[in-house]
Amino acid sequence: MGNRQNIRNFCIIAHIDHGKSTLADRLMECTGQVSERDMEEQLLDSMDIERERGITIKLAPVRMFYKASDGVEYELNLIDTPGHVDFTYEVSRSLAACEGAILIVDATQGVEAQTLANVYLALENNLEILPVINKIDLASARPDEAKKEIEEVIGLDASYAPLVSAKEGINIREVLEDVIKYFPAPQGDEEAPLKALVFDSYYDNYKGVILFVRIKDGKVKAGDRIKTFRSDKVYEVVETGAFNPALVPKDGLSAGEVGYIAASIKSIQDVAVGDTVTFAENGAAEPLPGYKKVQSVVFCGIYPLDGSKFNDLKEALLKLQLNDASLLFEPDTSQALGFGFRCGFLGLLHMEIIQERIEREFGLDIITTAPSVSYKVIKTDGTELFVDNPSHLPPASEIEHMEEPIVKADIYSPPDYLGQIMDLCREKRGVFMQMTYLDKSRVRLEYRLPLNEIIFDFFDSIKSRTRGYASFDYELEGYERSKLVKLDILLNGEVCDALSMIVHEDSAYPRGRTLCENLKDAIPRQLFEVPVQAAVGGKIIARETVKAMRKDVLAKCYGGDITRKKKLLEKQKEGKKRMRTIGSVEVPSEVFMQILKTNKD
Amino acid sequence: MAGIYVHIPFCKAKCRYCDFASFPEKIGFAESYMACVCREMSKRSAQLKGMKFDTLYIGGGTPSVVDENYIAMIIAAARKYYDLSENAEITIEMNPGTVSAGKINLYKKCGVNRFSVGLQTAIDSQLRELGRVHNLNDFVMCAKLLSGENFNADVMIGLKGQTADDVKKTIQVAAAFGASHISMYALTPEDGTPIYTDYLNGELPDSDEVAELYEEGRKQLEELGFHRYEVSNFAKKGKQSRHNLNYWRRGEYIGFGVSASSCIGDTRFTNTFDLDEYFKCILSDNFAVIDVQKITPEDKKDEFIMLALRTCEGIDLARYTQLFGGDFLTDYAEVLKKMSIYIDISDKNVKIKDEYLFVQNTIICEFLRG
Repeated sequence: MGNRQNIRNFCIIAHIDHGKSTLADRLMECTGQVSERDMEEQLLDSMDIERERGITIKLAPVRMFYKASDGVEYELNLIDTPGHVDFTYEVSRSLAACEGAILIVDATQGVEAQTLANVYLALENNLEILPVINKIDLASARPDEAKKEIEEVIGLDASYAPLVSAKEGINIREVLEDVIKYFPAPQGDEEAPLKALVFDSYYDNYKGVILFVRIKDGKVKAGDRIKTFRSDKVYEVVETGAFNPALVPKDGLSAGEVGYIAASIKSIQDVAVGDTVTFAENGAAEPLPGYKKVQSVVFCGIYPLDGSKFNDLKEALLKLQLNDASLLFEPDTSQALGFGFRCGFLGLLHMEIIQERIEREFGLDIITTAPSVSYKVIKTDGTELFVDNPSHLPPASEIEHMEEPIVKADIYSPPDYLGQIMDLCREKRGVFMQMTYLDKSRVRLEYRLPLNEIIFDFFDSIKSRTRGYASFDYELEGYERSKLVKLDILLNGEVCDALSMIVHEDSAYPRGRTLCENLKDAIPRQLFEVPVQAAVGGKIIARETVKAMRKDVLAKCYGGDITRKKKLLEKQKEGKKRMRTIGSVEVPSEVFMQILKTNKD
Repeated sequence: MAGIYVHIPFCKAKCRYCDFASFPEKIGFAESYMACVCREMSKRSAQLKGMKFDTLYIGGGTPSVVDENYIAMIIAAARKYYDLSENAEITIEMNPGTVSAGKINLYKKCGVNRFSVGLQTAIDSQLRELGRVHNLNDFVMCAKLLSGENFNADVMIGLKGQTADDVKKTIQVAAAFGASHISMYALTPEDGTPIYTDYLNGELPDSDEVAELYEEGRKQLEELGFHRYEVSNFAKKGKQSRHNLNYWRRGEYIGFGVSASSCIGDTRFTNTFDLDEYFKCILSDNFAVIDVQKITPEDKKDEFIMLALRTCEGIDLARYTQLFGGDFLTDYAEVLKKMSIYIDISDKNVKIKDEYLFVQNTIICEFLRG
């Protein structure tokens, strides 16, 4: 077990694309953690989705050994953090396990809005911050301006910030030296009862739940009997170890160290990220301060395509929740979709990632309903409630008024696209706040926007209207009174609960219109004519008709055709299985995705 | 009672929509082929001792292109090796332009008592478009030769540029020249046939238009005294095809020749589609079967229902009980309730209502397992 003075625990904070994963890779290479030959591009982004999208979602720890210029070998624990605004919660988890944070700033782009949020988080957690200017190899690099921005915008002394190029491997050693120089060694009492912060976990088919921990006090080794503060269940430690970044067994962990504990924990529900592990007998009296409870921002229903797979879906969600505590879900039923879950997410990207992970990692086909936000409903009797599921909205007669969440959005763009951005924000009911020229080529626009307007396709629209040049970030500001209505879709006269949504009064008509048109094309013809109607408060505002089917027959069927024709019918029947019956109308599951595409731009 | 089918894989030229086993360029092998078919019939007969047959159907291809003596040979072999009843229905398919008085006389002499003529349409430009080798005049000649005989005319709907009047005219022509039975099929563009490209290019009538043509044709047929007994088949009183009814009642049948299918007991089997392979098998004293399927009792039930619901008599409740035990109305109570709008139930039969027969797949699917 190493001397605590020679340990440094740190993370990296950076805006998307500023080179976080690349720098992490270089640090690992430089410390001989991996040879260049073995390097798989961006080691820490291990999930397929992460590599494809070029983002980090999950935090991934790694332990490195580095012989510094003072001749001493240090143990460096790097805990990678996600960069996207949706994953602030994950960031705060890894921050709590560190003493320092490297702040990467792109020498060509300067400080970005979202970087700021994470810097403040780090400061709140009393972390030392080491600014690093990256991408100095690029012709457009302006390191001095970037340093100036760090000093002006964040108020950090950036004079000593290393100038590096993670891509080209320039000045990586300097970063390691600075980590040792500027970040404090971990505190903690090795002799005190065990206190280990669980900052992540996942389920391993052979070892059970693997806990990722930062030992704050005491030590732990195989054979110790442990428990968590949350469940009181007692487990025997089977294995402890570190990350390289794969799990490497190691005899015991002690105060200051980062590593993992395997204790044959079978039930996913027994351990929560943010929990504290201690000894079953003579353990610590008080847990470590946990994490802030997450607040879901975007909600949607997730249902198994095959109704009999409800339990598989439940198992998948539980396993995902095990290492993503920000995913919230509860069982829900829909007349149209049967048994499923209402899920809460930190944002749209988070929602998409979870949906993709369910399909890829668990091989489940799912139906998702349109994303919604949480509305505040003030009833006529004075009571208040939050509603994120349109079908749970009380009758209009009981609603005094409704409020919707508003965000403050920062949009950064070259000045050429200001017109397009302002048009888009106007369409989305945005209120212009202010505009700042950061320099000749960059403008910051501040808008107040209703969250429900940006959960659909705002991000895609802004990217397409600015040819990808603009970036966008938002934070929740609060609730505001608004004229909101419930838009219902009726198929053959019956309301389809899974297609209902809450929209602003002014967008009810255009959205109802588009929805009916989309549904008309998406719903196959039935034996009878199916009216597709959009209604607000019982009043029909749009209507289309799916005409009755007129021909659905196999022309000939003689001796040689029977087997083949039977197969054709069986295939047709199989196709019907993928449909949901609403009232008497059979609706393919794709239809429920269709309404996510309400706007055609 | 069971049926016998013999496939004659020769014709003058392939039609643009044809995906049957037919080899116009190999017509020179007709004599050897007929010998092989007789040999196959002989070889199979040992397994089917005691079985009674009451229909023989000679289809193709175009059976009438080959020498009529070969047909005589086939019919003689069927009688020699199988217990074909005295009053058996014996049908031969023929195309206008390939027949003569002599041929028809010999067919009749051998016992053929039903003819099936490929008219398809009475509009010459549409016949050319289909790649048919005959014109309307050829049909008229052929029909005159068949005067007084029991004959079917095949009519197609869903052709490029076809109007309801074209369909009506075709039916009127067939009726005027003495057809006692009319099969009215919707053209099914199969992948791999030349006409499939017309379909891909959107040149064929869409399903609504086909439904309209069918409806107009059906009305015309009823007016002329042809009663629908299966979705695509219409007959004057008493002139229904017994051979085909046997298929729809899920009866047994034995097939001979290239691509012919059989259903005996709980087994279905099909011969090779390759003419050379057929020769090789038969000449080496083997059968030419390429596919054998055991039918489970559940599959048999599905087949029975799927076939019966194509017909206007529908599911024969007594026959269901006889074949499967149990009571259809009880076994399928739930589906029957769900589909009640589309179905007629009497104490003898369950059938799809007339107005829904052309959208039957959706309804049939409800009755299938799985």
